[in-house]
Amino acid sequence: MGELTVQEWLLGVFLIGSALGVILAKNPILSLLSFLFSLFVLAVTYFQLAAQFIAVMQILVYGGAILVIFCFVMILFQDAEKEIRKVKEKSRGPFLLFAGLAFFLALFFLAQNVGGLKPLSRNLPEDFGMAEGVGRAIYIDFFFPFEAVIVLFLVALIGAFYMGKKRVE
Amino acid sequence: MNSAFFVVVSLCLFLIGLVGVLMRRNVLMLFLSIELMLNASNLLFVLFANVHGSSYGLAIVFFVLVVAAAEAAVGFALIINAYRSHPSVDVDQYNLLKG
Repeated sequence: MGELTVQEWLLGVFLIGSALGVILAKNPILSLLSFLFSLFVLAVTYFQLAAQFIAVMQILVYGGAILVIFCFVMILFQDAEKEIRKVKEKSRGPFLLFAGLAFFLALFFLAQNVGGLKPLSRNLPEDFGMAEGVGRAIYIDFFFPFEAVIVLFLVALIGAFYMGKKRVE
Repeated sequence: MNSAFFVVVSLCLFLIGLVGVLMRRNVLMLFLSIELMLNASNLLFVLFANVHGSSYGLAIVFFVLVVAAAEAAVGFALIINAYRSHPSVDVDQYNLLKG
């Protein structure tokens, strides 16, 4: 892997630490805040990788929109959340064993191919990571997938609306 | 900066998300863990967009963002619907489809 800079160590430690906070925190609001923190660290990482526009969109869309919906739903269900702790937990050992096995398999596969990984680019194109470059990629080269994603989102919204409304008997 | 390092970090993020999906019982935390896994894939897309010097990877990140938003919208509608028939957010309690 070569030697790591202090910057990389900090990013990695903060990212993994905040991700652990998401799954380990007992209080859902704390995990939500931990997730928000991990989003900010990810945005810093994207800045390091010269993807400024994506970093800003990440904060706007994830932190601004999706996490707010999460927050509303968690407030809605906070009483139900307390009920969970009264029921005893089922054992999930085999699943965790499977997850750990998959992780080490992936790590092993990565170690086999680590020589083939190219280093980060020194001379990126002029518009890389800017709104212009990303916009060109989306609206010209990926125009059909973009339209497909629009239809997907429309269908998801209609479905969410239909499922969420109260049935009249 | 080192590309292998970011691949390992992304792998760790994905594993943490997977463990979260398997371990947590609150169905909302399940969704948060799925978002974590999506973020791990986003990190890889941005990393390899940088490595190859192409904006295509960044465009894919946008599609992943849209899919995450759609997933949250549909997922929460499902949870609210399930809560009406089964007043709990514990995934162990949702066992109507158990064979």
